[in-house]
Amino acid sequence: MRHSREHALSEDRSKDPNDQQRGDGLSRRSFLSRGAAAAVTLPSMAAFLEACSKKDTTGGTVGTGPAPTATFSVASPENPVKWPIFDDNKPIASGLTPEQNATLNVYTYVDYFDKGAIKSFEKKYQKYNVKVTLTTFEDTTEAIGKIRTGGVQADIYNPSYDQIGKMVTAKLVQPINHDYIPNIANVWPTYTNPFYDQEWQYTTPYVLYGTGIAWRADLVSEDIAAMSNPYDIFWNAKYEKKMSVLDDYRTCMGMVLLRNNLSVNTYKAEDLDLVHKQLSLLNQTTKPKVNVTDYTDVPTKIVSICQAWAGDAVNMVSYMPQGQSPDVLRYWSPTGNENMTDNDLLVLLKESKAPVMAHLLLNHMLDYEVSIGTFSFTGYQPPQNKITPEELVSSQFIPKNLASAVVLQKDWESGQHLLELPPDVDSQWQAVWQQFKAGA
Amino acid sequence: MSVGSQRSRWIWPGFALPGVLWLAFLFLIPLYVVLCLAFGTLDPIFRSPVPEWNPLQWDTTQVAFVFSHIFGDDGIFGPAIVRTVVFVLLASAGCLLISYPVAYFVCRFGGRRKGLLLALLIAPFWISYMMRMLAWVNLLQTDGWVNKALSAGGIFPVHVSWLDGRPSTVIMGLTYGYVPYMILPLYAGLDRIEPSLIEAARDLGGSRWSTFRQVTLPMSKPAVIAGLLLVTLPMVGDYFTNDLLSGSPSTSMYGNLINNAILVPAQVGQGATFLIIMFIVLLIPMIYYVRATARAEGDTV
Repeated sequence: MRHSREHALSEDRSKDPNDQQRGDGLSRRSFLSRGAAAAVTLPSMAAFLEACSKKDTTGGTVGTGPAPTATFSVASPENPVKWPIFDDNKPIASGLTPEQNATLNVYTYVDYFDKGAIKSFEKKYQKYNVKVTLTTFEDTTEAIGKIRTGGVQADIYNPSYDQIGKMVTAKLVQPINHDYIPNIANVWPTYTNPFYDQEWQYTTPYVLYGTGIAWRADLVSEDIAAMSNPYDIFWNAKYEKKMSVLDDYRTCMGMVLLRNNLSVNTYKAEDLDLVHKQLSLLNQTTKPKVNVTDYTDVPTKIVSICQAWAGDAVNMVSYMPQGQSPDVLRYWSPTGNENMTDNDLLVLLKESKAPVMAHLLLNHMLDYEVSIGTFSFTGYQPPQNKITPEELVSSQFIPKNLASAVVLQKDWESGQHLLELPPDVDSQWQAVWQQFKAGA
Repeated sequence: MSVGSQRSRWIWPGFALPGVLWLAFLFLIPLYVVLCLAFGTLDPIFRSPVPEWNPLQWDTTQVAFVFSHIFGDDGIFGPAIVRTVVFVLLASAGCLLISYPVAYFVCRFGGRRKGLLLALLIAPFWISYMMRMLAWVNLLQTDGWVNKALSAGGIFPVHVSWLDGRPSTVIMGLTYGYVPYMILPLYAGLDRIEPSLIEAARDLGGSRWSTFRQVTLPMSKPAVIAGLLLVTLPMVGDYFTNDLLSGSPSTSMYGNLINNAILVPAQVGQGATFLIIMFIVLLIPMIYYVRATARAEGDTV
């Protein structure tokens, strides 16, 4: 699992063959997006749990039985959710002294947490002799399982939106005391009241990821960004076996839906049938690779065009072979409602033994300089107010030709988010994807 | 019966205990877990697989789904299975074609350097399979050394995109990756053939070719079968080679079906079903090998 967030912009790491391996297989984004972007609303959670109290044997496949969807609803921009704060799980009091000799454990993806941020945090609070350790997971399913069973004792965790409702209800996370996190002022105001956690009671934002198309201008004659429907390029037989799509069912199928001006969270069988047909056609016409190594495949000319997360496009720069200019790289993503942008989160786990210090670490991660370090390390952009395409280009953080890979607040606010799907709908999606990946 | 004889009665079977424990803990119990996952259910909240430990309560939904989607109009898994059979047969044949002459050469003409040659032959084992495949990714890139070598230093420009999802690249990768597994049993089998038998055949007027065909080849048959088994069995479940050297659904193999399924929590039961099917199918050549070996030993006796 894995993908370009695991590839820092350092030269040394870009030459490490292990990086390529780490880039292979299932991505963090896969799981992030598999669950994607939402949560079960609390009013319906009790009913949902009740509905689910019987064993579900749907198997996650089409036509394998009814799923408990009657009371299932998801958080969305149109249906924002404010999670409850339980009497036995309240935020810590304000003004507490940070714990002495604490060791904070951050449970995160491999290479997803900048070690520079850890060093600066330990230095900042050295009078408290704080240490920060990292424990990593491959996917959030594995992570949740270990948190639930106590297999991993951590203070801070990197969930996806869809896990928030489940974690709040199961009291795996603790609410945040905002007094300890003044740096929230550094990030887009929308994150003080995001749809998936109204009034940011349990979450702070981490990094953003938009989705679009990356290509090499020296190998692709078309100006993809200027095409009436840029996604059509994936069905252009001229580029047979010269392209890749992301190995993430929500993101890739979402691309097909966007191509047809449909919702990326569709429940409609006819929409999924259309996706199925167009993916089959894709397999026949251009035979794309399905992977998450586009950030190396484009620089090394294994493919000329790819579906890419914005962070992948940024990371491509550091993977360009010696002597080749990144000026040939291009990135396009749609704007407005056709944009597909999401973000990762940080939460404080209920079992934290040093909750005050953990709050301080959450605050530290929202610091501008620390966030820039995170951006540099992961390639993914924190939603900092000060980060703009102009500023990143002028500071030579990214080349001008990739300025379009910077995610804007308006894109996040107006774009579509990959929301959690009810189990039976999700099974339908998975079945289409399974067939596509089987090469049938 | 004396105490000493009673004790000695248990000593020799006792030597089998570690093997029995090994088999129980690392094969039988995991196999049962796989079965329980295949016939299990899903966690209603987290959509993760829940194994059903009681066989009386096994649910057949996932197993039935897989079987109903192998062939026919809904046969979404059929193409990958057919592809796997073709790839594995071709790659196994490739392994045999490469390994047999190499092993034969080392046995017959290695002389005092047999040990050294053998060590060189197993050298690839010192590097992990994953690393060897990663090395191929670099070699096979459009600007990689393979194209540079084929272009004879740039005289004949070659721009073959080896990594663009070609079945031939996957088959090559499988062949390369598993060749050492075949060389070793072939070497062991060929080395056991008495040189005097071959000399006798030649003395009786057999040509080199007829001696090879009528003496060496039949006598090395068990080693060939063992070698084929050693490479075929892991190839069937291999997904990594295809992922790395192709990455295209058009070359998806059976191992990819398993891998894709187990990475989706709600489809883990299907992944377990694929594993069980593979286990049953692969038992057939294993049984054949055991019977062939027993028959050969009977003939020898």
